[in-house]
Amino acid sequence: MTEATDLAERAGDRDPRIGLRAVSALRRLLEQLEAVQVRSARNQGWSWQEIAAELGVSRQAVHKKYGRQ
Amino acid sequence: MFERFTKDARAVVEGAVSHSGRVGAGSVEEEHMLLALLDREGSRGSFALTSLGESGFRASLERDLAEARRRGGLSRADADALSGLGIDLSEIVARIEEAHGEGALESGGRGGNGRRARRRPFGQEAKDVLVRALRIAAARRDRHIGDEHLLLAITLRGGVAAEVLADHGVTYESVTRVLYGPSGASGGGAAAKAS
Repeated sequence: MTEATDLAERAGDRDPRIGLRAVSALRRLLEQLEAVQVRSARNQGWSWQEIAAELGVSRQAVHKKYGRQ
Repeated sequence: MFERFTKDARAVVEGAVSHSGRVGAGSVEEEHMLLALLDREGSRGSFALTSLGESGFRASLERDLAEARRRGGLSRADADALSGLGIDLSEIVARIEEAHGEGALESGGRGGNGRRARRRPFGQEAKDVLVRALRIAAARRDRHIGDEHLLLAITLRGGVAAEVLADHGVTYESVTRVLYGPSGASGGGAAAKAS
């Protein structure tokens, strides 16, 4: 019985739908986390340049995305 | 495309805009459309919702939506998929809230939130609901687009709103059954679903 359940679970792990859904969820979560951290850094007086450097993106990119808030 | 919208469908669209404004969201989202649908009375959509939902349905639905919002708009299916990767979403939410305050993940990561919105824009999900509603109506050969088509579109999208609705017995299948009877469930629905 447990063997069959294990087998079913392992087969499920290879289901692309689950893997793709996880990637998509992770991407959305990442966006939310980035917004939280950028907001927090701004509230603590960080410059766009400093934030961009930590994120590894250009200053323009981060300002365009989160500026004017 | 709005000229074919019924009075109730228009009221849902307008209601969604005010719900979005009330909570200070940067754009109109699918969730706001669902809340506006729940406001309707005497419409085809509200008939389906009241036929399928039990008493206290609305409060329970709102609670579930709020909970999903707190998780950064991720559904339970998303949380399950993440846990398959060894990521505990509730743990992440708890830590973020500990550091940044309750509901820190709520305000969305699109960057557009909080911008001065003279005209509140429709988000991608909400636009998708409108497009799907058109397709569903076309597939059913309905000339009008009513709030029932908006409801069907939400259940078909498979997003957070659809998941919360399904938890309360409101699915594409159950809504078509209530609106069009057992035979109507096949009429056009499959075509709309496939697209």
